[in-house]
Amino acid sequence: MPNPRKPEKETITICAYCGVGCGFKAETIGNEIVRMTPWKDGKSNHGHSCIKGRFSYDYYRHPDRVKTPMIRASIDDPWQEVSWEEAFAHAASEIKRIQAKYGRASVGGVSSSRCTNEEIFLTMKFVRAVLGNNNIDNCARICHSPTQFGLSATVGAGAASQHFDSILQADVIMVVGANPTEGHPVFGSMMKRRIRQGAKLIVIDPRRTETVDSPHCRADVHLALRPGTNVAILNSLAHVIVRENLHAPEFIKSRCEWQEFEHWAELVGSDEYSPENIGAIAGVDPEDIRRAARIYASGPRSTVYYGLGVTEHSQGSTGVMCLGNLALSCGMYGREGVGVNPLRGQGNVQGGSCLGSWPHVLTGYRFVTDDATRSSFEAEWGVELDPEPGLRLPNMFDAALTGHFKGMYIMGEDPVQSDPNQNHIIAALRKMECVIVHDIFLNETSKYAHVLLPGSSSLEKDGTFTNAERRISRVRKVVEPLAGYQDWEVTVKLMNALGYDVQYAHAGEVLDELARLSPAYSGASFELLDRVGSAQWPVDTKAPEGTEVLHMEQFPRANGLGTFMLTGFVPTRERISEQYPLLLTTGRILSQYNVGTQTRRTANSQWHPEDVLEMSRGDMQVRGLHTGDRVTVASRFGATQLKVVESNRVNPGIVYTTFHHAESKANAVTSDLSDWATNCPEYKVTAVEVAKVKPDEKSRARTDTAHPAHREHEAEALVAVEDA
Amino acid sequence: MWNEVRGLRDGVDYGTPPRDGEPVSLTVDGTEVTVPAGSSVMLATVQAGRSVPKLCATDSLEAFGSCRVCLVEIEGQRGYPASCTTVVAPGMEVRTQSERLTTLRKGVMELYLSDFPESEIPDGWSELHRTLEEIGLEGHRYGEGHNHFRSPVDESNPYFLFDPAKCIVCSRCVRACEEVQGTFALTIQGRGFESKVAAGQDEPFMESECVSCGACVQACPSHALVEKSLFPGGYERA
Repeated sequence: MPNPRKPEKETITICAYCGVGCGFKAETIGNEIVRMTPWKDGKSNHGHSCIKGRFSYDYYRHPDRVKTPMIRASIDDPWQEVSWEEAFAHAASEIKRIQAKYGRASVGGVSSSRCTNEEIFLTMKFVRAVLGNNNIDNCARICHSPTQFGLSATVGAGAASQHFDSILQADVIMVVGANPTEGHPVFGSMMKRRIRQGAKLIVIDPRRTETVDSPHCRADVHLALRPGTNVAILNSLAHVIVRENLHAPEFIKSRCEWQEFEHWAELVGSDEYSPENIGAIAGVDPEDIRRAARIYASGPRSTVYYGLGVTEHSQGSTGVMCLGNLALSCGMYGREGVGVNPLRGQGNVQGGSCLGSWPHVLTGYRFVTDDATRSSFEAEWGVELDPEPGLRLPNMFDAALTGHFKGMYIMGEDPVQSDPNQNHIIAALRKMECVIVHDIFLNETSKYAHVLLPGSSSLEKDGTFTNAERRISRVRKVVEPLAGYQDWEVTVKLMNALGYDVQYAHAGEVLDELARLSPAYSGASFELLDRVGSAQWPVDTKAPEGTEVLHMEQFPRANGLGTFMLTGFVPTRERISEQYPLLLTTGRILSQYNVGTQTRRTANSQWHPEDVLEMSRGDMQVRGLHTGDRVTVASRFGATQLKVVESNRVNPGIVYTTFHHAESKANAVTSDLSDWATNCPEYKVTAVEVAKVKPDEKSRARTDTAHPAHREHEAEALVAVEDA
Repeated sequence: MWNEVRGLRDGVDYGTPPRDGEPVSLTVDGTEVTVPAGSSVMLATVQAGRSVPKLCATDSLEAFGSCRVCLVEIEGQRGYPASCTTVVAPGMEVRTQSERLTTLRKGVMELYLSDFPESEIPDGWSELHRTLEEIGLEGHRYGEGHNHFRSPVDESNPYFLFDPAKCIVCSRCVRACEEVQGTFALTIQGRGFESKVAAGQDEPFMESECVSCGACVQACPSHALVEKSLFPGGYERA
């Protein structure tokens, strides 16, 4: 009787949700997953888990899963189910037709951080070797592209300097624009463990997050800055450090470019960045800026963890550089317990970032314009490669609107929901002639697609993921792929259909090829990962089992030294006005994951059935709003409707929402501004006005959401609309 | 706090957290073993391949010393100290097996079983069932006394349930919520026989501060906190 059924088999694999990349045992009976339990040997989780990895796996067998390939001539036609062969043949003939008519560069692809390193690599190879151009991008464009740019510029490597465990030796933890206890919960637990042991916590975030204040975890200093003032605040911290001589001259002299330090010190030391001046701009008490700077500089081991609250700004790359500068100036590199570490959102966004899924660089961030790099790929792939950098994702959409870009292979992405300025993207997709969506579900983007290739979830495939601490772990097939193929096999067959002959016996052979072409991964193989569990890149002849802490002796720059970038504060063009007097910023919640494709198809929606708008009491009162009211959130770019709740987590003048539900259309509101260096969208700052929805607008809003979403919990709303 | 986290290994339960201290040598059942200072005697017994039965101890949590199943004998010390809360010392001579220890352990386990659903004793695969096997016990000698068999099951969380009838109040769930997850949503409420695991202010799990990380379920040695997915037809008591 109620003794539980006993699983027959355990498969060690890695959770595909956030960038922590927890090791799990998938326990099965036959082809059914009956339980996921955290793996004690998992080096990023040590046997701990969160609700998503532990329980929210049932999406893999949700009735919405696409099981059969589908095609259609026009997006206004109904989908037609076809065999895999027909789907490949159709996609290939369309791509050939488009390239013949509009040119080789009229097509491109997007890889997915939900997919394995092997799949990302193959998608990149598909675009470069088969389509013959460099129009390949990945979703890190919209999250952590500034990390790669900003950290490479200062310390030579666009990745976390530490391993997660390193936080257990930190004395000061500075969290900037991130909310680990919600977004990266298992790391958040580790962080709280260290805080309970006495480490100090500094949080820089517009919102009083759960990280700022929860049981036995309270920030020593919380700089609740106005959205869009990161660079100003970080420069002001640097100002205090430089003016009060809190920096580490010995470290700077031995490990950094001294002259660049002096230039930087002159900039941040200027009166412009005094706490009084910046405090007024950022809405922060100048004394708090001083306290934060003194705590950070005094360490002795201070570490920085940051998230999209730093990167998703028009000065996102500058913000990342500020963090690099700050850590270098105080000697917070090259030891345990220090460093600068991005908290990455998706299970494999680090892999997506370092495996050449960019229009301008091949694996290991090596430029496509570099002849030597290109020729090593040409030798391996047997084709000539285009030396011209390709289009970035937003530029692909721009080019589509001008009629120069006509076809796209979108693997495991939903740009309509996740990319900025939704209306613009929809218009662009409508102008394309062949959009191939490769996904496990129909999504917002597939409404504008011509070919739908059923994807396989991470529970149905072999490969590797690289987590936010550069850790390469094995993804192992737990159950058979629902539609018959693992994603990497689909990409290979698409390549074959276009006349490029390549075969791999298993995903491990793709990793072998990838390792031959990526210095940091050169020692990686299935054999190694099976033997040691996981390994942090660089994994090469010098570090055959990987590297936990980077920059111990020198920085991977030409002269081996770290450098200081000039980070003048340039306010975003997105400003409040009389018409749009509030600033909207966004974040995520524990129980849902990104656009919710997976988590909304699990019982997790019992915790977070809809996105809500958090607003301060005063702002609600002057607008006559009460908690639970439906409101219109309007910006210069678009409008959406949400339920408003009073919250003391946001300051007056600031509103906040999550973006997990398609119906919320948060990205219809966000601006089209982006990071000056990388085009990463400025999701975190949008001037808006909020007003109560009038009764007649309510019915219209319902019609808006009446698109063919097949989710069970929406069925009722759909019926209501259809009845009307 | 380094080895405590990084020293954990799949398939091994040292009973108490691994430590980072200087090496200390002792003997367990005559076998010499060297462990870091600060380690528990329990950890040393595992390292020596002579592990002792336990219920309230697991190596992801600090020692608690409540179940009294892991008793050992230590040369020159009176009584039967709990191996989980006793720290190793150089030259210590530990005995994990003796007739007296077996009697004591069986006696303790019988008391646990007297408030454990009779029909669940055979065919289980929880840690409690493994401990029963280790000490060679299949039942208890007591008649039906006060028990928790009719305490309501909390099925409020969509992913796991809590059946107080199977709870041995070892506090592993409470400690996991504090030490591993850091949420402090669980507590032991009441005293003596009345003591019970409570979420939040004695609310259903779903209404408490619980964040459903699963640490308590992972830590539970008796399947009182257990994944609903293991009961495909729903949970029904015998």
